[in-house]
Amino acid sequence: MKFKVTENENISTVFLNGEIDMDIADNVREVIFPLIDSGKEVHLNMKDVQYMDSSGISVIVESNQRAKEKNTKVELKEVSQPVEKVLAMARKFL
Amino acid sequence: MNGSSIAQMNHNEKKAFLVKTSSLKDVRTFCREVFEKLEIDQNLKDELVLAIAEAAQNIVKHAYKDNPSSNDIMVVEVSCVNNKLKIAFYDRGTPVDPEKVKHRELDNIRPGGLGTFFIQEIMDAVEFKDGKKPWINHLVLTKQL
Repeated sequence: MKFKVTENENISTVFLNGEIDMDIADNVREVIFPLIDSGKEVHLNMKDVQYMDSSGISVIVESNQRAKEKNTKVELKEVSQPVEKVLAMARKFL
Repeated sequence: MNGSSIAQMNHNEKKAFLVKTSSLKDVRTFCREVFEKLEIDQNLKDELVLAIAEAAQNIVKHAYKDNPSSNDIMVVEVSCVNNKLKIAFYDRGTPVDPEKVKHRELDNIRPGGLGTFFIQEIMDAVEFKDGKKPWINHLVLTKQL
């Protein structure tokens, strides 16, 4: 699976889509982590994500921790309703 | 979590899947199709699919952790009797110790254990039963609709 990435100065925006589960999570890491490691601020556009489970939450949490280590940040943008619902449930836990 | 449903009919359907991460999407598709037949509303359907997907993922991730190239199958069975939904999972992986299946402490900020938390939030009951041959693990999730 490929994800569109746009660049604007020091911000990289990754457009995630489809269903993010354990099978896809490593693909997402492979896109996001190098951007973080290069010091970019990463925005995750999630408006076209129809399903996400705990694997997707893991990617977001790991990305956030990695960004802090690199003195940059990760932000979620345009979160779809299914993703927002899972995030709301996860916030009770994390 | 609460959710309304208009599931009125008794129903039973099961399907086998290879124990692979690539099967998880098929598990979700199967369950969505069954829930369509049961006329479960979208909100509850999304939650149930998430709980089932997390349970199936746990089989791949934990029960087959030491045997990732196995060609074993797992079976997912969805039944609904008198508006009580039962989802059963059968696998032949490493035996699960129910005492060890719990989500971690809340002050530990790591995502591990989140899937188990989701399952417990969404379902009314989570039970590990004795797996009858040829199965080793038999997990049953229930929810009153």
